[in-house]
Amino acid sequence: MSTIAETAFRGRTRRHMRVDGWRWAGRLFLVFMLLYTAVPMIWMLITSIKSGFAATQFPPQWWPDEPTLASYQKLLDPQNSVGQDFLRFFWNSLFVSTVTTILSVIVAVPAAYAFSRFSFPGRNFLFFAVLLRNMFPAVIFLVPLFILMRVLGLMNTHGSLILTYLTFGLPLAIWLLKGFYDNIPVQLEQAARIDGATRFQAFILIVMPLSTPGIIATAIYSFIGAWNEYIYAYTFLSKNDQLTLPVGIQRFFSENTTDFPGLMAASFMMSVPVVVLFLVLQRYFVRALTEGAVKH
Amino acid sequence: MTRITLGSAVLRGTVVTVLMASLMSTSALGAPPVDLSKWSPEYVRSIAGTQNFDTAADCAKVTPLDYKGRLTFWYQGVFEGDPDLLRQYYKDFFDTFRKTYPNIQLEEQALTYNDLLDKFRTALLGNAAPMAVRLQILGGTEFASKGYLEPLKPEDVGYSTDDFWPGAMKAVTWEGVPYGIPTNNETMAFIWNADIFKRAGLDPDKPPATWDDVVKYSKQIHDKLGIAGYGLVARKNAGNTPYRFMPQLWAYGGGVFDEATANPTYEEVELDSPQSKAALQASYDMYVRDKSVPVSALTNQQADNQPLFVAGQLGMMISHPSDYDVMLDLQKKATGTDKDKAQTVIDNMRYGLIPTGPDGKRAVVFGGSNIHILKPEYVEGGKVDEPAAKAIICMWTSPEWSLKMAYAGSNPGNLNGFKTKWMKERLDNIEFLDVTTSMLPYGIPFPALPQAPEIMNIIVPDMLQNALTGAMTVDQAADDAAKRVKELMGGL
Repeated sequence: MSTIAETAFRGRTRRHMRVDGWRWAGRLFLVFMLLYTAVPMIWMLITSIKSGFAATQFPPQWWPDEPTLASYQKLLDPQNSVGQDFLRFFWNSLFVSTVTTILSVIVAVPAAYAFSRFSFPGRNFLFFAVLLRNMFPAVIFLVPLFILMRVLGLMNTHGSLILTYLTFGLPLAIWLLKGFYDNIPVQLEQAARIDGATRFQAFILIVMPLSTPGIIATAIYSFIGAWNEYIYAYTFLSKNDQLTLPVGIQRFFSENTTDFPGLMAASFMMSVPVVVLFLVLQRYFVRALTEGAVKH
Repeated sequence: MTRITLGSAVLRGTVVTVLMASLMSTSALGAPPVDLSKWSPEYVRSIAGTQNFDTAADCAKVTPLDYKGRLTFWYQGVFEGDPDLLRQYYKDFFDTFRKTYPNIQLEEQALTYNDLLDKFRTALLGNAAPMAVRLQILGGTEFASKGYLEPLKPEDVGYSTDDFWPGAMKAVTWEGVPYGIPTNNETMAFIWNADIFKRAGLDPDKPPATWDDVVKYSKQIHDKLGIAGYGLVARKNAGNTPYRFMPQLWAYGGGVFDEATANPTYEEVELDSPQSKAALQASYDMYVRDKSVPVSALTNQQADNQPLFVAGQLGMMISHPSDYDVMLDLQKKATGTDKDKAQTVIDNMRYGLIPTGPDGKRAVVFGGSNIHILKPEYVEGGKVDEPAAKAIICMWTSPEWSLKMAYAGSNPGNLNGFKTKWMKERLDNIEFLDVTTSMLPYGIPFPALPQAPEIMNIIVPDMLQNALTGAMTVDQAADDAAKRVKELMGGL
């Protein structure tokens, strides 16, 4: 017959085993999810270093017999017409996405602050109205925006894309940032005001630093939205020197064939800025996600 | 490499005679320079390389070479996946145009196959279209009927209507008025892998004679080797789908209307006829009953079948002669053992005539592209530089360039292209070209109706998808498609 102490010990051991079991299951799940998300990227990379023929083989070559960087060389060679196009498209995308992001933040920061801190007639209605644009599929606005851009003389300019991207990037940015401002205690600003700061100074010196993670997260969302957008870019731009990457990448598809290694190399190159952005700013991004989750 | 005998193939049967008579019946200016009634691989060989043309001198009569102007121009471009040869010719064309007309400021825009029509439609709605456009054969009538296009005939750019396939001219004519000029025309062929045939117990050098054979062969290949037999294409909103399904539909005696007859009236919808249903049943049998076609057929276009074929995972498909050039390109760029494997695929490629229906009827889509000039009110800036537009159209549709621009995957729209030295060179260098030119007399143009793009790119693929996914029975899917066509046509 076991003693009370032995029984208690066995109970604790079973509980530990149960906890360890769940912990291991959690880890396995994480590994699975990691593989699930990483495999497409890895496959993209592997395909990009295959020859056109090897990329179509079945069963697929998990690692090419004859790896080649020919697709990357072609894309990065400014002497080659494919390279010239790719580098120009890359620069165009970078320009459009960066300007869109900067403008999004410049407009969204004060707008979200106003929605968070000021009370004015129709505030709630306006706040929800801001989101209306994002409740409809992008294609609905295609022709009206096309006509608007033509009337404004913005066809075949990057200005047409920047303006359009702001129409769906800004509402999201305003909503995201308002959530952050709501979580910053108003007492902090009041204390600064008591110490002699103006409202603007209190905003710049107190609120802005505290909302930095939110602003960065918002900027990343805006950048990615603009970086990946295809339909408007395809429709509004009709000059080779203006095209952006998502449109340019379509050129690897032909009527009856696809250049898979070229497509994968270009896709990989296209993902680099976004990955770098995340790597550099991820600590802000994580803070933004966690802080946004807790109501102070 | 074994090649099938084709000389007699084109002379076979009354279908050819009837079709040729139909094609020639629209001739307006007397005997055509190329005698279509003699059309055969031997005839094509006999006229190839017999005539020289001076393109710049010909086009100078249309637009002086020192003309100063500006032109915006959109076209379906060739891109990274296309054969190097074709890409080089496109580059050469624009370089030559700029040298020939140094004072015309050309702003050309290449667009991808599946997006060109949608982008063009949006641009038209926003009055921001280019001055000239080259569209797939299916598109011209839609835009002509809506009043977007200027009347334009071959005579306007120095050629004769007789210099072009009569069937192609039908595709650019709306209510008796031509609105464009054909740049290239082609028919596809049936391609199979001889090694797969051999391993599946089929004659490696003999294509299936009928569509019923295709179903049978596809099953046999799948059952014996566990790979897809036939490259079914059923993706929605992609031109590739009707190009592969309509030959089957017509061969069984069906049609959307009566477009497969000698003198179509397009008055009766025939998608729900027993013959059309038999064709749809054949696709159903391959996809659902036998599971002998790629499971991805519902989202496949030809660009997805080609890699399967290259990988030895697909026994048969319908495609252009360009597939052979694509394979040569892949082989050229491969290294090590891949080079040898690619050569094996090339050695096993076989081209043959597209199979017939149960009654011996053979059909193929008469494809191609046309070039058009827009009306000023729909063009960005409200002005069309007509001499500049005619200059590029004259050059593209010339015997020289209409051949070169179609070198690897199509045929010259201007029939005089068949007389050039480049045609002779092409016959010598491109394997299986005889087969695809032999299919030309079996070509059936899509109905020259404004509704044709929606019928072919949406309703026909929908019919296939409804049947293949089991959303509807074969009968219901065909009836539904017929009903939709009737509604679209305004309650015929």
